[in-house]
Amino acid sequence: MVAKAQRLPVPPPQDSVAASEVSLYRNLLKIKDEHALRDLGISFYDAETTVQWSYNADAWFHAASTMKLAVLLGVFREVDRGELALDAPVHVRNRFTSIVNQEAFMLDLGRDADPDVYGHLGKTLSVKELAYWMITKSSNLATNLLVDVIGIPTIQLALDELEIHGIKVLRGVEDQRAFAAGLNNEVTAHGLLKMLRLIAEGTAYSQEACDEMLDILLDQQYRSGIPAGLPKAARVAHKTGNISTVHHDAGIVYLEGRKPYVLVILTQFPAEQGRGTAVAEVSRDIFNTLAGVVYES
Amino acid sequence: MNHDEAEPGLKVVDAFDLDDELRSLLKPGELLRDELGRRHRLPRYFYEIPSHEIALNMRLTSHFAMNELVLNDLREAPRLQQWPRYIPCAVRILANYLEQFRAAAGASVHIAVNGGYRSPSHKHSQYASAHMWGTAADVYRIGSTILKTRDAIEKYNEIAEDVSDEIRVLPYGHDVGKNADDHVHLDLGYVTLVPREISEDRMEQPQEHRPRFAFEERRRKERRAVVAADSET
Ligand SMILES: [Zn+2]
Repeated sequence: MVAKAQRLPVPPPQDSVAASEVSLYRNLLKIKDEHALRDLGISFYDAETTVQWSYNADAWFHAASTMKLAVLLGVFREVDRGELALDAPVHVRNRFTSIVNQEAFMLDLGRDADPDVYGHLGKTLSVKELAYWMITKSSNLATNLLVDVIGIPTIQLALDELEIHGIKVLRGVEDQRAFAAGLNNEVTAHGLLKMLRLIAEGTAYSQEACDEMLDILLDQQYRSGIPAGLPKAARVAHKTGNISTVHHDAGIVYLEGRKPYVLVILTQFPAEQGRGTAVAEVSRDIFNTLAGVVYES
Repeated sequence: MNHDEAEPGLKVVDAFDLDDELRSLLKPGELLRDELGRRHRLPRYFYEIPSHEIALNMRLTSHFAMNELVLNDLREAPRLQQWPRYIPCAVRILANYLEQFRAAAGASVHIAVNGGYRSPSHKHSQYASAHMWGTAADVYRIGSTILKTRDAIEKYNEIAEDVSDEIRVLPYGHDVGKNADDHVHLDLGYVTLVPREISEDRMEQPQEHRPRFAFEERRRKERRAVVAADSET
């Protein structure tokens, strides 16, 4: 995809918003249909135009790795309260406790699967390093180590305090016992949008905390979701979430010369089908609608 | 020995002489229950380790440096993560057994973070465990073998038990404190060491002149050598 322009125009005139919404809606249904999605949830907020838009945004989806955003928030809650230091060392250990019967479990990984974290087994990584790998490389080991440090109740408390109602965190990742018992983390598009908006606006704890979180999110290394639908110059602070039947992306999109927009795209598809490019296509359609120009594909 | 010694060895402290915060965290002489309800008296005499650098360079035996046995993460009380740090004197005895274990295993022995001394204020210190006496070690890797399977753990458990009847290991299993599934735990029990320079007639009144002691003079030189073999990352 080649962008004709990377600078978005000034806010579109109000009378065009309704028309573009209709065409956006039509496009989304087409994408949903073409990719045979079981479910699609979208939430969008543009800080430049204050336009908000959503589709099925209160539907609950399996969170997959988007739950790591909530862990990040919980970590910064503790940092903000002085309960936790970003440079505090954490023992890197592959041993966790299931929320079901307190049974022990290990993540199925080796040095190759998660070298940045697993390579430090038996030693320490700082809270900040773990947060970084948890987000940028979606490290499950880093996630569970941080969940262990701050605790699930703290994460839920952080969400409740900031009135983020569309994120439910019950457990860490790869807790197979809990999965079998149907205990999963869930998100809605609105829930993730609310959280990212607070970070984008600098109101989650402090500007400093938000800047730290943004720095981490901007270094995201999985870019097949929202960024794949954008011009190369776009900077995206985001977190993806993939398991066998879901592909999500939730992020803050920074384009030159304008305020950012926040976009959450949640997709669920049949297991036999495999992940497609629906998230990137939705991202592109939304970008195009905002820009008011059509890009060659 | 006097206090102005240019290159002092490790100072031995009676934990009753430490400030209130340290005393409340180290709990010298307090009785603590183990998982079976038996009570054990926590150690009172500690080595004071002034800095990280000294911990890294201070060898207890030829392959074990002090640092490995005081390495904790954020689960240790914040004050106890600052320098100087304190470690029960009995750690010397542990190090000698670890050295023998290393020889019997035929490979380098790597102690995990939180796997050496843990204070009674450490978040993992629910019940009395030899870790609070400085007489236990959690080994997560031997040579290049990461100890995470039943086979590996049982193999090295056996080797450790054969080193000495004093060594107890935890069997492979998933109950924290009763057994282990990602390390070999070995310990000597609730051993305390009273340095020979200490007079035990003193109760809990702080002494006016704190004695400063080293390990035996003759071993000093060896201890200050930079640790090589077991300190690779
Ligand atoms: Zn142990």
